[in-house]
Amino acid sequence: MERAEAGATEVTRSSPRRLVLAGAVLAVLVAVPVVLGAYPVTTMTRMLAFAVLVLSVDLLTGVAGLPTLGQAAYFGAGAYTAVLVGLHLTSDAMAQVAAGLVAGLVAAAATGWVAVRARGIVFLMLTLAIGESVHQVADTWSAVGGSNGLAGMPPISLFGSPLLASGFVYWWVLAVAIAVFAGVALVVRSPYGRTLRGVRDNEARMRALGYRPALARYGVFCLAGAVAGAGGALWVAQARFVSPGDLGFEVAALALLSVVIGGAGSLWGPCLGAALVLLVRDNLSASIGGHGPLVLGLVFVAVVFLMPRGLAGAGRGKGPRRGRGKGRGKERPS
Amino acid sequence: MTPLLELRGLTRAYGSLTAVDHVDLAVLPGERHALIGPNGAGKSTLFATVAGTLPATGGNVVFDGHDVTALAESERARRGLLRTYQHSSLFLDCSVLDNVALAVQRVHRVAHRFDRAARRFRRTEAEACRHLESVGLAGRAGDRASALSHGERRQLEVAMVLAAQPSLVMFDEPTAGMSAAETERFAELVERLPDDLTLLIVEHDLDVVFRLADRVTVLHLGRVLATGTPQEIQADDEVRRAYLGSARAEELFTGGL
Repeated sequence: MERAEAGATEVTRSSPRRLVLAGAVLAVLVAVPVVLGAYPVTTMTRMLAFAVLVLSVDLLTGVAGLPTLGQAAYFGAGAYTAVLVGLHLTSDAMAQVAAGLVAGLVAAAATGWVAVRARGIVFLMLTLAIGESVHQVADTWSAVGGSNGLAGMPPISLFGSPLLASGFVYWWVLAVAIAVFAGVALVVRSPYGRTLRGVRDNEARMRALGYRPALARYGVFCLAGAVAGAGGALWVAQARFVSPGDLGFEVAALALLSVVIGGAGSLWGPCLGAALVLLVRDNLSASIGGHGPLVLGLVFVAVVFLMPRGLAGAGRGKGPRRGRGKGRGKERPS
Repeated sequence: MTPLLELRGLTRAYGSLTAVDHVDLAVLPGERHALIGPNGAGKSTLFATVAGTLPATGGNVVFDGHDVTALAESERARRGLLRTYQHSSLFLDCSVLDNVALAVQRVHRVAHRFDRAARRFRRTEAEACRHLESVGLAGRAGDRASALSHGERRQLEVAMVLAAQPSLVMFDEPTAGMSAAETERFAELVERLPDDLTLLIVEHDLDVVFRLADRVTVLHLGRVLATGTPQEIQADDEVRRAYLGSARAEELFTGGL
C-alpha cells in the first residue's frame, strides 16, 4: 500500500464545487428506485451495504495504515446478529442495524487487542486468522444454521410498517450508508483521525510525543468493527438471508481490493471501488461466461499500474505526490 | 538544588559491547547541559536510553524525583521528558500544522476525540499555530511536511517538542547537516527559549556547544571523562587528548570563540 495515497485524507474544507458534485451524486442515488426496475435496485442496495464494509476496511487501511483481511468477520457478526434479531425479536430496521453495529463493535473489541499489537504483514496475517476462525465457527455452529446459514427472516419494517418494495429497502440502506459515511468522514477530520495518521506515518515519533500507538490502533479497530457490523446488518436487510459465505475470505479480499482500486485513504474512491467490484462479480460475470474473477484481477493489475493512487487519485495530475513542493497541501481529495 | 534529571550508573550493553558504561550525570533545572564526545563515544545510545527508546541494562534514570527506568518512552514523554531525533523524524504525509497539533492535542487530552472536526478544537489549533509562529513556520502551516527543507524540518521538530510542554528537552545533534545560516538561526531559537526549560544537547559543533551550554559533559568510550563549565572543559588536558587527540585541538577550541 503506497502511503502517499493515504495522505490524501488531509481533508479539511469542502470547496463549493465539491459540494455541488456531492449533492448531484446524492440526488442521483436517491432517484435510483424511481427510475430503475426492481433488479438493478436490489443490486445497488447490495453495493451500498458492501460499500459500508469497504469503508471500514478503508478506515483501517487508508487512514490508520493497517491493511486488513479480517473485516468480513465483523461484517458477518453484524449480519448474523441482524438476522437473529429479525427472526426472534423484531423486524424493526433500526433495531437490527443497531444490533449489527454493536455486534461488530463487541466482536472487534474482543478479538482486536491481539491484532493491533502488530503492524504490516503480521497484522494482515492476524486479521486473516481472525476472519478464517470466525468463518469456521459460522460454518460449523448449528445454532446459527451451520453451513446452511439462516434463512426466512421477515422483511424489515420502519415505524411499524414493513418495507416490502425493494425501493424502500434501498432508501433505508442508502440513508444508513450516508450516515455511516458522514460518521467516518468526521473521524477522519477529527483530532483522533490526526492521531491515526500520525501512527500510520511515524509510530516511533508518536511514542516520543507521549502517545500509545497500540491504544490508538485498538480504538480504530473497534470503530471499524462497528462500521462493518452495520454494513452486515444492511446486507441482510435486503438479502433476508445470511450464510457463512457472506463472511468468507473472498468477501474480505474483495473489500480490500475495493479499497486499493478506489484509493486508500479517500472515502468516496473505495465506495466507487466497492460498486465496481460487486458489479463485475455479480452482474458481468454471468455474461462473460463466469470469468468475473479474471476481470477483477485484470482491473486490479491495471489500477496498480495506471492509477497507483486508485480512482480517487486519478485525474489529479500524474507523478509522485511526495516532494512535489508547495501547494500540494491544497489538493484535498476525499 | 535537586537535579531534574539524574543518571545513576546508567549502563547499556549490546552483548559484550558496553556502549554506555556506568554513567553518572546530573542536570539541574533550567540548565543548558551539553554532551560531547568523539564518534562512538555512546552519546546517541545514552540519549536513547534516557528517553526510553532503548531499555537500560543497568543503573537508573531519575527524572523529576521519580525513578523512570522501567517506564516506557511514551510515559516518560507524558511526564515532560522529550527528545528530538538526529535525523528529523516527522509525519511527512501530514500537514505542517498537523505535526505540531499532534503534540498539542495530546497535552490538551483531545487526541482521541472524534465528535468534532479537528479545526473546531480552537484552543488546540491556536496553540499549534502559536508554536509554528515561534519557530517562523507560520506561513507553511498548510504545506505537507515532506515539502519542507532540511533546516525547516529541524525548526518544525523544535516546534513539535516545545508544543508537547516539556520540562526537559533532549536535542540529538540538532545542527547536523545545517548550513551556517540555519545553525545561527537554530542557536538564536534556543537562546530565546524560556529560562525554566532544561536542555540536554548532544552536539558536534563545538561553537554551538560553547555558545549555548552552561555545563558540558564529555563522554569517551561510554564513560564520563569530565563535567564542567565550557571554560573548564576547554582547559582540561585529558579531554583534549581523548576528544581531539592532536594539536588540532587548539584550532577547534579557539576557532569559534
